[in-house]
Amino acid sequence: MNTSLRKSIRPGATIGIVHIFFVLIGFNMLVAILFARVSGVKQPDAIPAPVYLMAYSITMGIWAGVAAAQKRKQEFRQVAFAGCVAGGFAGIMAGLLEFGLAIILVKNINVRDVLTVLSANFIKGTLFGMQPAMGVMVTVMLFALGGTLGGALVAFWNSTPFQAFLNRGIRFTKDSVQKAQGVTHGKNRLLWQIASISLLALAVVFLPLNWGSYWNYVLGTVGLYVVLGLGLNIAVGLSGQLVLGFIAFFAIGAYSMALLNAPLPYHLMWGFWPALVLGVLLAAVAGLLLGLPLMRLRGDYLAIVTLGFGEIIRILLKSDVLTAYTGGPRGIQNIGGPTIFGRPFVTDVDFMYLIIGAMLLAMFIYSRLQNSRTGRAWLAIREDETVARASGVNTVRYKLLALVIGAAFAGLAGAIFASRNQFTGPEEHSLMASINVLSLIIVGGLGSIPGTIMGAFALKGLPEILREFENYRLLAFGALLVAMMLSKPDGFIPSRRPKFQIPIQPETREAPKEQDHD
Amino acid sequence: MHALSLPTLAVKGARFKKVAHVFDLLRPILGAIVLAFIAYRLYQVLIVQQEYGADTWTRLLISGLIIGGVYALIAIGYTLVYGILFMINFAHGEVMMLGAYAGLFAFQAFNAIQVGGQAQTSFLNAYPVLAILLAFVIGMFISAAIGYFLEKIAYRPLRKAPRLVPLISAIGASIFLQNAAQLLFSPQLREVTNPDILRRGAGWTISINNANVIIPYTGVFTFVLSVLLLIALYIIVRKTRLGRSMRAVALDKKTAALMGVDVDRTISQTFIISGALAGAAGVMWGLHNGMVYFYVGFIPGIKAFTAAVLGGIGNLPGAMLGGLVLGIVESVGPAALGIDFQLKDVLAFVILIIVLTFRPSGLLGEVLAEEKV
Repeated sequence: MNTSLRKSIRPGATIGIVHIFFVLIGFNMLVAILFARVSGVKQPDAIPAPVYLMAYSITMGIWAGVAAAQKRKQEFRQVAFAGCVAGGFAGIMAGLLEFGLAIILVKNINVRDVLTVLSANFIKGTLFGMQPAMGVMVTVMLFALGGTLGGALVAFWNSTPFQAFLNRGIRFTKDSVQKAQGVTHGKNRLLWQIASISLLALAVVFLPLNWGSYWNYVLGTVGLYVVLGLGLNIAVGLSGQLVLGFIAFFAIGAYSMALLNAPLPYHLMWGFWPALVLGVLLAAVAGLLLGLPLMRLRGDYLAIVTLGFGEIIRILLKSDVLTAYTGGPRGIQNIGGPTIFGRPFVTDVDFMYLIIGAMLLAMFIYSRLQNSRTGRAWLAIREDETVARASGVNTVRYKLLALVIGAAFAGLAGAIFASRNQFTGPEEHSLMASINVLSLIIVGGLGSIPGTIMGAFALKGLPEILREFENYRLLAFGALLVAMMLSKPDGFIPSRRPKFQIPIQPETREAPKEQDHD
Repeated sequence: MHALSLPTLAVKGARFKKVAHVFDLLRPILGAIVLAFIAYRLYQVLIVQQEYGADTWTRLLISGLIIGGVYALIAIGYTLVYGILFMINFAHGEVMMLGAYAGLFAFQAFNAIQVGGQAQTSFLNAYPVLAILLAFVIGMFISAAIGYFLEKIAYRPLRKAPRLVPLISAIGASIFLQNAAQLLFSPQLREVTNPDILRRGAGWTISINNANVIIPYTGVFTFVLSVLLLIALYIIVRKTRLGRSMRAVALDKKTAALMGVDVDRTISQTFIISGALAGAAGVMWGLHNGMVYFYVGFIPGIKAFTAAVLGGIGNLPGAMLGGLVLGIVESVGPAALGIDFQLKDVLAFVILIIVLTFRPSGLLGEVLAEEKV
């Protein structure tokens, strides 16, 4: 067997394994249902028509083909052939799986005790409703076809005419962007800025009115997660300390709001604003108290302790011990909202404005901090704590500061969240929520504001739209986290690092400016 | 200019020191408060109230020892990996969970196989020792394989990355494995079919204070097996060539490579060993507690890490001691301090925070290479 063939078989085998995993968790059906949706079927069955499953097989084949054809600088035919081999090999593995499934079906073995998705209907669907032998053959063929297609696609992408076309397109876009910048950055810069800001402001003011309750609810959640994400970003993205139980601070904010504002259990009936302020302060104090003992330790201890802290808070809130004080597993209801200019905030639309305000405030504070002396100290700590300390950065204080400010952000988000939902309970503050927040800032890009917003949309907004994926969401999160770390550890929109060098001019060498951090 | 700046820096330096060391001054006071609280509660519960008799304490101690043995097995995996890679293998609990599933399915399969001529019995009860052995081998093998691939796919490419990166990758792997298990095997709780000689709940009965205390067979089995495995591991690390290369890599990867140790291979082997131990812990968990589901590895995983920190990370006897101490504290602690048993998980995490505050290097001290500490 020559090396070229072997190189194609490897990705084929990988995709084959992925496919087998997908079938065993029923993911192939989901993709097929999605294909059916896209092509206009209103209510696809649980086992969609064979055509859509075939489309799934071809897609997997294309994936295998693309994987095999990448990094190949060869002729069109060779690359397409490599794709065909990879797809075919993945197809053979898929065929073997289907052969096994067919045996299960024919012999009527009950495997659902172990692998839950493998019902008779599911197996029949996977075999495209055909005779087993036929289904297996079709699968192999579809995979090989997809592989060839994928290989051809890559070859076409890499071909000289297409690259030339692509380059022309990129150059054209760059030119037009530059031209546009010439307009916006020239004399009229101020005017343009005013225009764009006022347009944005108009959108902010009027869009929530037209969204309707559902979208305001969803986007409000996204907005609160942006605040939460920015808070965590101060700790993780800017100062490089991994905080895992971050939702605990959110819970402190939410419960402060709930206990101070709701009629039960204490009937304190504080107003929204004092409760909000106290919630933020309490969250910050919790961050300080938790951080104090840990600051001299290695970073990953902080991770595990904050994780433990998050669990402590959740278990305490849930336990019977505190039921009398915090409502126990049933949570606290009837949390009130604020009143601004005599107008009580009740609906999701009202809260949307509050959330937008909180978001803008968080973004403002974040960006001011990021570009300040404090931000640079955090950067230094993140890059190398020992060097930072040696350069005169008080690492303990700055690390604590990051944790405290991050916790305060979370407290703010939590208080607003509780007030908007008029309810808070222990299960809202589970570990999974912490991991959601962490995932969203990592996926978006550690440290960057646009990244955080994008991550919040991707991880909190998309699942609302793609309801079918509900069961697979966390699985995808996990895989995505690993994949991101392997390929793009900086996220989709990485934060721009300040890049400047002190120009060295031997004649006028002066003592550098004092840069001790207070 | 320099002459001017130096004294100001020194003055400022003195001021930071004060701020930074406030906590060092607070530490003994805090420690005294914690100790006083514990002493007061112990006095209240043990002397004033005397709610529990000796029988209850024995019962709690036994269950603590059993769970402690399991924690110790998992903690070893954390400590081995941390000692070599300086990374919390967050997915280690999930490796244990998959081992538990493997054991569960193995027992189920053995129970389904019928052997014998006239008196049809299942393979599980006809050859229980063989069946248990096979189940453990299967569980350990599966977990070891998962550990091996985990390292190869999710950690190895990141070995030179900043330390946050592999940790996040590990968290991702943990979420992935947990949900993969949930999707593959459904989220329902599954009951383990024990062989008749190791029925759950059965055990030797001893009498203390006219009350019967049951020492469960499964518990004794679990404890003895974990001690045996720990001894085996200790011998591997101390006496074999593999153990020597593991210690060498933990001490200094570059020098170890120069001395002819295959670093990649050694790290793989470390993951295989820690995976196998976690798998054994998983099968034991199933045998003793009886229930297996996709979340079964998570909390024990975190607690085992706590145990590893408690004993001093990187330190093998420390991890064993830490596991046992944590198991006992978690089981006896709530009763001794007179708090709700629901809060035993809280107690475990509080202990972690207390240990990190007052003795960050753990009970027996850390054993880590110098450069990264």
